[in-house]
Amino acid sequence: MTRITPEDGIAIVTGAGSGLGRALARQLCDAGFTVVGTGRRAEALEETGALCAGRFQPMPMDVSDFAAVERGFAEGIARHGALALLVNNAAVYPKRDVFDETPELFWQSMAINLGGVYACSWAALQDMGPRGAGRILNVSSYADIAPLPASAAYSVSKGAQRVLTRALIADLFDRFPDIVITDWLPGALATDMGIPDGLPPETAAQWGVKLALMRDQSLNGTIFERDMELLPPRGLKAKLKDALMMRRPRPRRL
Amino acid sequence: MTSPFDTEWDAIVIGAGMGGGTLGRALAEAGQKVLFVEKGAEGLRSERNGLTEVFVPEARAARGLWPDPLHVSLDGVETQFFAPLGSGPGGSSVFYAATLERPERHDLDDLPGQPHPTGGWPVGYDAMAPWYDRAARQFRVHGTPDPLSPEAPMPLGMPPPLHQAEAALTDSLRAAGLHPYRTHTGIANIEGCENCLGRKCPKVCKMDGRSAGVEPALATGNAQLASGLAVTRLLSDGTRITGAEVRADGETRQLRGKRYILAAGALHSPRLLLASTSEAAPKGLANSSGLVGCNLMLHVDERFALWPKRGVPDSGATKAISFRDFYHREDMRLGAVQAMGIRASYGEMVHFLNRMFDLRGQPRLRTLSRPLAAVAKTLLGHAHLFVGLMEDFPYAHNRVLYDPATPEKLAVTYTLSDELRARRRAFRKALRKGLRGHRHLFLSMTPELNWGHPCGTLKFGHDPAHSVTRADGRAHDLENLWVADASFMPTSMGVNPSLTIAANALRVASHILEDQR
Repeated sequence: MTRITPEDGIAIVTGAGSGLGRALARQLCDAGFTVVGTGRRAEALEETGALCAGRFQPMPMDVSDFAAVERGFAEGIARHGALALLVNNAAVYPKRDVFDETPELFWQSMAINLGGVYACSWAALQDMGPRGAGRILNVSSYADIAPLPASAAYSVSKGAQRVLTRALIADLFDRFPDIVITDWLPGALATDMGIPDGLPPETAAQWGVKLALMRDQSLNGTIFERDMELLPPRGLKAKLKDALMMRRPRPRRL
Repeated sequence: MTSPFDTEWDAIVIGAGMGGGTLGRALAEAGQKVLFVEKGAEGLRSERNGLTEVFVPEARAARGLWPDPLHVSLDGVETQFFAPLGSGPGGSSVFYAATLERPERHDLDDLPGQPHPTGGWPVGYDAMAPWYDRAARQFRVHGTPDPLSPEAPMPLGMPPPLHQAEAALTDSLRAAGLHPYRTHTGIANIEGCENCLGRKCPKVCKMDGRSAGVEPALATGNAQLASGLAVTRLLSDGTRITGAEVRADGETRQLRGKRYILAAGALHSPRLLLASTSEAAPKGLANSSGLVGCNLMLHVDERFALWPKRGVPDSGATKAISFRDFYHREDMRLGAVQAMGIRASYGEMVHFLNRMFDLRGQPRLRTLSRPLAAVAKTLLGHAHLFVGLMEDFPYAHNRVLYDPATPEKLAVTYTLSDELRARRRAFRKALRKGLRGHRHLFLSMTPELNWGHPCGTLKFGHDPAHSVTRADGRAHDLENLWVADASFMPTSMGVNPSLTIAANALRVASHILEDQR
């Protein structure tokens, strides 16, 4: 399987000022990539840059400011070269009870977690489309399956984000099979957004980077959880057929 | 780039497909100011999609496909489906398999023992031959000469070497007394060629209306492409076209040029003329013969699976082999046979069965398509799919319809003639006999019309009462209206129409340039 290399172009990681985004940016830099990292806090991005051996380019930006995203991506690509990889990592998880979650606050989170992913993907496609190639990895979650209390905006936006992946593939796959979009669920991490006894983000980032640099067309629309592919649920008929044909679908492992 | 509305163009080419692209290029290279008006979107050159059954019109348009279904009244049964029609630079040709075959002499000429259904084309085989040669060079056609043809071959490039299964199949067809040759194909052998048959390709090896027409035309600096712009009506003062009406951003505007060239395809070009009625021309423009839209011809596709002889290693699908042993048999006009370049895959079979049920007005039988396809796939296995393209004859009652109440509705009416059914039986019989010794299976019960090969709806001829354009491609009725797509063909021939469209477009372009002087 061919892999994306620094010769293919740069990587953009959103939400690179902390947690998983910082770890992903750092490991991509270690792999030789020029990484443009976005985040709302310039100082946090500087800290990430200090860990990144000179290949990190901070781009302070709020992904819910769609005009800024369009401008920033265009400038970053013009300055640093073709966009080989976009990691949509930026997200917020404000824990608020429904009586505290005003429609305005709800929509703000949606604008970041869902709107930001669309805006960044759209901006990336302006470069990837004409070249017919590129890689988008969406850091994703199953928060929508059984929403926790005080998590309305996060659950809805993260569920919708996976639908967005499928919708983008419906628009793109037959025309641009080499633009490869995958959802990745890193699991619960020991980050500000995660849980104290979660996985260290550096460990998860190793899987994330590996997956992000894979560009096989067959990865389009797949979902990976931590280091393992999650196969789509199979109906009774398909299961029966599998049993009869003595075959078992095997998930890929990173 | 200036607005196309501010310029008086030398030539306004309506439709940028095989005919329009080829003609526009020839004019632009001769220094003419050419505007291609193309309904479809320009899209991105990096696209790789093929045809799709997706029914969302916007999604179809974004893929360079005609957005709406074709409504067909077939033997009185109403049906609708998505015809393999492109809409965008290159038109349908960006999806084609680049088969560029020259017809036989009897396709154009009335010959002793081979009478022509219309008495012969107004431009005979010998007059057309140099244009076929020029088109073959422009489209970089490769292949080997047909061993059965007494004619001087077109300039053919060296085809790529046959793979093992193709070579074995060629040998066994030859052993059965047939005369296979390498299909004449317009694909330049460039490095990394993906053999993109049936889909768009970012590369420029496949020579189509876009890569060998529109793009080189634009490169001259003399041509401009106005995409996403549909001509809704042509305006006339009775002797000339005075403007082309388009809808742009919700507004009706006019494009102006010295000459107007219709190249929207045999289904759309006549519709535009029928839509352009006025008090002076109540039947539509260029229609004093009443033949605009009539004489719609398709081909009858006789598909069959052919198994290679036992022991032949499987090395993939072939598109490389054609033979013309049954082209004209027992005083009947039949057609060429060629490998389709696809395997009998499950998806192909489902698509094929769905279409067959739809066309027979029994869409409910679609539920059977999947199980039938699964069975067929197991049965067909390593078979190669071939298709015999049987000629369709012109009948005025087979025609493109236009209803001003539903101007967007693309509709045709077509009746299968007894004569066609009889020829089809003869074709199948001849094939069956000729393929003796090869395991084969015919794949259609009823005549399958090829909706990707429409032609004949603005036929050319000497007599204004019985044709729409003159021999040079200019309308009998209007001095600055020309036709350069498959509409011009008086008969459908026994081969794919693309090379003939291109050759004729080059010929019409030369007449336009002469007229200019």
